[in-house]
Amino acid sequence: MTIEAINEQLLRAIGVGVALLDLETLELSFRNDTFMEWFGGPEASARLADLFPTLDIEALGAELSDGGKFTAETSFKLKRRRMTVAMDFTRAGNAGERIAVLVCQNITRIKELESMIDSYSMMVERNTHEIKREKEQVEKLLLNMMPRSAYEEYKSFGVVAPRIFESVSVLTLDFENFDRILEANDPAVIVSELNDIYTAFDRIGEQFGCERVRTNGDSYFAVSGVPDPVLDHAESVAKAAVRFLRYLSRRNESHPIRWQARLGLASGPVVGSVVGVQKYIYDVFGPAVERATRTRTRAQGMTVAAHPSIRDLLDSRFTLTPLAPAKAQPEPREDLFLLEESNPATATGPA
Amino acid sequence: MEKSLFDKYGGFSTVSKIVMRLYDKLLDDDDVGPFFDDVDMPRLIDHQTKFVATLMGGPASFTDTHIQRAHHNLDIEPLHFDRLKDLIAETLEEFDVAPEDIETVLAAFEARRSLLLDA
Repeated sequence: MTIEAINEQLLRAIGVGVALLDLETLELSFRNDTFMEWFGGPEASARLADLFPTLDIEALGAELSDGGKFTAETSFKLKRRRMTVAMDFTRAGNAGERIAVLVCQNITRIKELESMIDSYSMMVERNTHEIKREKEQVEKLLLNMMPRSAYEEYKSFGVVAPRIFESVSVLTLDFENFDRILEANDPAVIVSELNDIYTAFDRIGEQFGCERVRTNGDSYFAVSGVPDPVLDHAESVAKAAVRFLRYLSRRNESHPIRWQARLGLASGPVVGSVVGVQKYIYDVFGPAVERATRTRTRAQGMTVAAHPSIRDLLDSRFTLTPLAPAKAQPEPREDLFLLEESNPATATGPA
Repeated sequence: MEKSLFDKYGGFSTVSKIVMRLYDKLLDDDDVGPFFDDVDMPRLIDHQTKFVATLMGGPASFTDTHIQRAHHNLDIEPLHFDRLKDLIAETLEEFDVAPEDIETVLAAFEARRSLLLDA
């Protein structure tokens, strides 16, 4: 077998479609086996324009007359599979003849894989989006349970180290005769009322730099200065306390249940930390919390009792009247005060 | 959480090959192949990818209504369903999927029989 014969054999059998194109007539003069399998043999038309109607013949001619290359893609059905073939025209070396070699590569699989990657990446993107949304919901829930700085710490380290806050102010609140209100009303009504009231308290507190730590039935507990330091934390809780009462008395005018809140204020150090492993919650405890709770027990309905620890931190905008010593035992040892706003008429702010 | 078959057999890297193999088989098969005569390639590949991912517990999004809607105007006979089931089993065997896992996949497929046949 001569080298030429071997070459021709190879050329016929190769998995790439090969044809020779006469650039004068734009007809094919040679087609190998693969080419014929895809686009037909001598029984089909030899004219390029008939075989590939979508081909831009003019552009092809222009490119090849300068000795350049021309590439295109074509699709056809083989049985029921859509085949895609990349066509590559190259001007043949001999200057005398105007001939180009057409090489056709089967890129069907590449196209199929591209489609699959598209499909898969869309699936993954959608999943990522869903995961992100779920994460945001979890974050929102956790931020309801702890301050953002504690949450960030929890996210990075898996724990929140207890922190001492040397100077903060605490507001605690409960309602007089809560037991009786409970007995006299539908539980669903109570829950909806408390929900309404606590939401208003949260909103007012936020405006004055207080953050609710927790509620427990009829007791509401907020703090100013945790976890971010607040310079005038005493004033924050005092202002919030006064406005809580103002809000409540207005609300009571138009609602069947007359809520009588008792408030206790105090200042001092507290510890802030996430408590619990499985069911964690951010909690604040310490001397200031103890004082505020004790102080509250001395408040009459719709009044604010203040602990001595907060007295010196407040200016003349608030009037502090000493409370008569308690008759009941055990009683707080400290001298407590009744806190009121000095000039409510000029007070600004909501509620 | 138990690992899905999708993850167990190497995630998308393997599943992509399974999808391709199944795609070849579907088109070559003269029972089920004709259903895909007029389906555009990207669309068919998209469906196959989601189909295999769904069966193997991967990140797919085929709901029952989705499946029903995609097949409701096709004349699918029990023979076609069974043939596809065979092709799935065959393909998974070629990729050395353990027999009990093939059973799991086929059961997931079988569970949707009524969605396709009664539609």
